[in-house]
Amino acid sequence: MPRWLRDTRVIVGLSILFAVLVLALLAPLLVQSAPDEQDLLSTLLPSAWAKGGDVAHRLGTDSLGRDVLARLLYGTRLALSVAAIAAPGAMILGTIAALLAGYFGGWVDWVIGRAVDVWMSFPPVILSLILMVGLGTGSRNVILAIVLVDWTRFCRVLRAEVLVVVRRDYVTAARLVGFSHLRVVLREVLPAVVPLLVTLLTLEMGIAVVVEAILAFVGLGVKPDEIAWGQMIADGRATIYQAPINLLAPVAAIFVTVAGFNLLGDGLRRTLDLRLVEGRG
Amino acid sequence: MSVLRAENLCVTARIDGVDVAALDGLSLTLAPGKVLGLVGESGAGKSMLGRAIAQLLPPGFAVTAGMLEFAGRDLVAMAPDQRQNLLGRQIGFIPQEPLSALNPVRSIGSQFAEHLRRLGIADWRSAAIAALESVQLPDLLDRFPHQLSGGMCQRVLIAMAFASKPALVVADEPTTALDVTIQARIVALMRDLQVAQNTAVLFITHDLRLAAQVCDEIAVLYAGRVVEHGPADVVLAQPLHPYTKCLLLAAPAISGPRTALYALPDQMPGLRALAEMSGCRFAPRCPLARDACRESVPALAGDTHKIACPHIAEIDTITVPALAPAMVAATGETLVSVAGLGKVFRGRFGRKPTIAVRDVSFSIAAGEFVGVVGESGSGKSTLARLLMGLEQKTSGEIRLAGQDVGGWGAAARRLRLRTAQMVFQDPQSALNPRRRVGAIVTQALEAAGVGLAERRARAAEILADLGMPLELADRAPSQLSGGQRQRVNIGRALCLVPKLLVADEIVSGLDVSVQAQLLALLARLRAEHGFALLLISHDLAVVRYLCERVMVMRNGEVVEAGRTDEVFANPQHDYTRELLASVPGAA
Amino acid sequence: MLAAFLRRLLAVAPILALVSLLLFGALRLLPIDPAAMSMPPTATKVEIEAARQAMGLDRPVTVQYAIWLGQTLRGDFGNSIHMRRPVAGLLAETLPATIELSLAAMVIAGLLGLGGGLGMFALRDRRGEAVAETVTTLMMSLPEFLWALLLIFVFGVLLSALPFTGRLDPGMTRPVVTQFLLLDTLLVGRVDVFFSAVRHMILPAFALGVAFAPPIMRVLRASLIDTYQEDYIRQARLRGVGETRILLGHALQNAILPTLTLMGVQFGFLFGGSLLVEVIYSYPGMGNLMVDAVRNADLPIIQAVGLTYCVVVLAITAGVDGLVMLLNPRLRGT
Ligand SMILES: Nc1ncnc2c1ncn2[C@@H]1O[C@H](COP(=O)(O)OP(=O)(O)OP(=O)(O)O)[C@@H](O)[C@H]1O
Ligand code: SF4
Ligand SMILES: [Mg+2]
Repeated sequence: MPRWLRDTRVIVGLSILFAVLVLALLAPLLVQSAPDEQDLLSTLLPSAWAKGGDVAHRLGTDSLGRDVLARLLYGTRLALSVAAIAAPGAMILGTIAALLAGYFGGWVDWVIGRAVDVWMSFPPVILSLILMVGLGTGSRNVILAIVLVDWTRFCRVLRAEVLVVVRRDYVTAARLVGFSHLRVVLREVLPAVVPLLVTLLTLEMGIAVVVEAILAFVGLGVKPDEIAWGQMIADGRATIYQAPINLLAPVAAIFVTVAGFNLLGDGLRRTLDLRLVEGRG
Repeated sequence: MSVLRAENLCVTARIDGVDVAALDGLSLTLAPGKVLGLVGESGAGKSMLGRAIAQLLPPGFAVTAGMLEFAGRDLVAMAPDQRQNLLGRQIGFIPQEPLSALNPVRSIGSQFAEHLRRLGIADWRSAAIAALESVQLPDLLDRFPHQLSGGMCQRVLIAMAFASKPALVVADEPTTALDVTIQARIVALMRDLQVAQNTAVLFITHDLRLAAQVCDEIAVLYAGRVVEHGPADVVLAQPLHPYTKCLLLAAPAISGPRTALYALPDQMPGLRALAEMSGCRFAPRCPLARDACRESVPALAGDTHKIACPHIAEIDTITVPALAPAMVAATGETLVSVAGLGKVFRGRFGRKPTIAVRDVSFSIAAGEFVGVVGESGSGKSTLARLLMGLEQKTSGEIRLAGQDVGGWGAAARRLRLRTAQMVFQDPQSALNPRRRVGAIVTQALEAAGVGLAERRARAAEILADLGMPLELADRAPSQLSGGQRQRVNIGRALCLVPKLLVADEIVSGLDVSVQAQLLALLARLRAEHGFALLLISHDLAVVRYLCERVMVMRNGEVVEAGRTDEVFANPQHDYTRELLASVPGAA
Repeated sequence: MLAAFLRRLLAVAPILALVSLLLFGALRLLPIDPAAMSMPPTATKVEIEAARQAMGLDRPVTVQYAIWLGQTLRGDFGNSIHMRRPVAGLLAETLPATIELSLAAMVIAGLLGLGGGLGMFALRDRRGEAVAETVTTLMMSLPEFLWALLLIFVFGVLLSALPFTGRLDPGMTRPVVTQFLLLDTLLVGRVDVFFSAVRHMILPAFALGVAFAPPIMRVLRASLIDTYQEDYIRQARLRGVGETRILLGHALQNAILPTLTLMGVQFGFLFGGSLLVEVIYSYPGMGNLMVDAVRNADLPIIQAVGLTYCVVVLAITAGVDGLVMLLNPRLRGT
């Protein structure tokens, strides 16, 4: 078994993510009510085990009488799909830019470096909001916005690493024995940064979950008919005194999912012996 | 009373649950004002003693037996604050890497101030300036370490170490990171201060000849044990332990008759391997070894000249054959011709441009071995990179096999690929850790699109050529020894049998015995394949051994060039003379 | 030294130009007609067309950009489409509030980050190390907007200990001198209003500060550990320098450099993160202005506020870089 699979953090992180994934996939089997089914006669029910609770709504209902658990589980689907598509998208874009910049250096590096500077001068939240204004709502555009904002995270960290790898003599040696640039990049440079890439990808998936929630929370994320944790939070905030579970359940869901990604990423970082200290925003 | 006394000192490391002695029963005494050289190849345990004195052993290491005394006080049992009190006052240390041993964000003055105030010197500024004067440095208290050269940093550190008039100074490879001319000056300075203050010095080095020059006594260390100990001149002139003798015969000389190099097999066993050894630790490599050697540990015996080997009567049977004064210069057609070559690195951010190579002209005939010597920054590596097309020339002309390869174009690249290959200095960096040895040595075939079966067959040939067993083909570079790695490094360049091999410092940083193996390998491969070699080295003796012609570089210029034997016997340029005179053991 | 710092500041100018171009370009892609939106719904086609011409919208895009840039440089950000007020005035009211909140949060993040980093470094190679690391990992899984909500729930709802909407208790009037509320209350001597404002800032500032502290802890710890491997630390020990002096006089001075660089980046992110916290705490700053503008597609505000965020972030990073230059002799260019 590889060393990274024996790390406690990796195991805990993977278990959490596996559980979250199973819950998302099995959502229709776990709850009877549809997530958007309104029942204006039983709004703001408490959870099943509290006084006045209803076993049909294990986590109670929201202000429109929709089942909180159902919305939570279906929200998981959206969160995970956004993470699963947006993070690799940002990774591919950022990695290509980083390889070009780090390998070729010179003016290529300069141009990409300035592009990263420009991107970095936008706080990510602001940039994604502006992009969402331009792109319009919908989960597809949320994904696009995340890719367009977060490629710089990969680019910045990877470029530094590529620069280190490129300075190694084996990269020069590969050129000298006749490897083409593309082959050098794919066979000698890229494999050296894969561990870093995987770790960053894991962390980025957690970030994607958060950004999706943020955008839905301010009402600029998914379309109103899609079910998102961020929207649940926005709704739950209004009923924080009457039914705090409406707010706390999605908060906990986000925390647990992101913690799963972060624990996994951290475990990988440690066992793969990477020097990586990433800010977050 | 002696300044330093070790009696049966054992430093033990715990490796995978097994205790291994990194220093095994070390006994020595160092009298006031004397210099003791502790000599050994990497991994012999020579730095362990210095670390034990400061009790700054690496994690997992501990003193497990024996005694270590400073001026009659037990250093091992001593309370930490008492020991700390001795450090910097009575015991000074001089490090190996001067450039990184000074705090980069503090000025030299502030680091002096910290040290001198601790010594209770109120007027630290004048004391610091006096200390700098003692190492022939001007007042540079307001400067920062990055503004100084390695030699200047080392002089600052020497000034600090001697500022408290210590009874003992431990110098661990103090000149290894420096150029040979600077090494000579640093060593002389240390010697002067040591004599003036009557300080005892523990001088740790891998260079037997340097130790012989600097020290009163020498102790030779092999795999954690002292194998020979005696007056410096005696040990150098008449080594009695087989290891010392082999070591001396393995290092090429700078003067005197040229001899072959003694090729000790393998390398010193690592700590892990030591756990399974019994008897004499040198036995697996010793030409005089017999079964009895593996049974009991030979004791260090003798009066002033002590040897840990019962078979010293046969020491004279270890010899090497003499060589012709210089290999005959090849008279093949011209392979490389370089005319008026220059390279200027543009200065970035307003810095001045660097002229790395200026107006260099030379040629190399097919099959000829040419050496380039010069100190750090003289442009040797840049010259090699220009030849290989890794750097764009600023002026001049480079022709390979008669054709101009000055540009970046594809044609030049193809021609170069067929003609020239390069071997890099540091195998750690030159071998992709994620590839297998077999794949590395046949990378050129992979680039040409040759199939796997053919590549494997060629890998087997190359490994045989390099004198390496076939099963190493499936190993990763990290699973090889340093010498093996450098062989693989050479093997990759030889895959397509180039006409020219450019080798930048390929034996520096290797142990003498491993260096001898590699030099022998290069000589043999030359006989088999007949390639030409441009050998860049800061070690003049290596060039003298291997090359029939030599170029001396300084500040980007070739200041002297000619047949090796003539240049070494009768140097014309002042700089060449200084260079030759600085080499330890120069006649 | 000064020249190097000025060069660093100058490097900001082209970035800002590109940022403005990007902002302008991104928002030009919108299927929104600023002219139609700036007119009352009853306006006729002819009136709208007149407005278009007045706003230069019939000219080529490059000219439009030049016009917009020229006005922006003169401090004229146009009028809010939705609120029908000059954007410059709106900015003048909201930016100081956001700066106050962010500064408070930066102090909290800095103190927690540096303190935590030192604490974690003290735990190295001990049993508590893994626990501390896991705690930071879990903390990093709570972004600022979740901290904001959780703090409201615990300290506002459950404990009713602290207020969590707006900046002042109801019924209090805010004095206006400089637009910086905390400063103004002190300037006019209204200590009661000052304390009310402080109480209102505790939760949002903590939510923001705590969320951005963990990366600072990690970098400080990691760079301290790296620094302790350096030769000069060993050499200082061999010179008999004590451990306290080694930490304060040698290790920290070096380890703080990468930490400061990261803090610059973090503080930029933090400044952006204040947007969500403002929304959640109904805090009348630039974030709320921006979110309202985004919901109403109020282009002049989005452009001006977006640009302001960038200017502040660039100022923060340039300032931190300058500080690093000051502390690192190798960058001082002597
Ligand atoms: N890429 C580069 N950019 C700027 N200056 C360089 C570059 N490469 C080398 N130099 C400078 O050119 C000069 C010659 O360097 P070079 O590496 O050729 O010396 P060298 O003789 O090989 O030294 P060493 O023995 O330390 O390997 C030095 O002053 C060096 O600092
Ligand atoms: S004891 Fe034996 S093996 Fe050891 S050095 Fe002497 S002869 Fe060689
Ligand atoms: Mg070199």
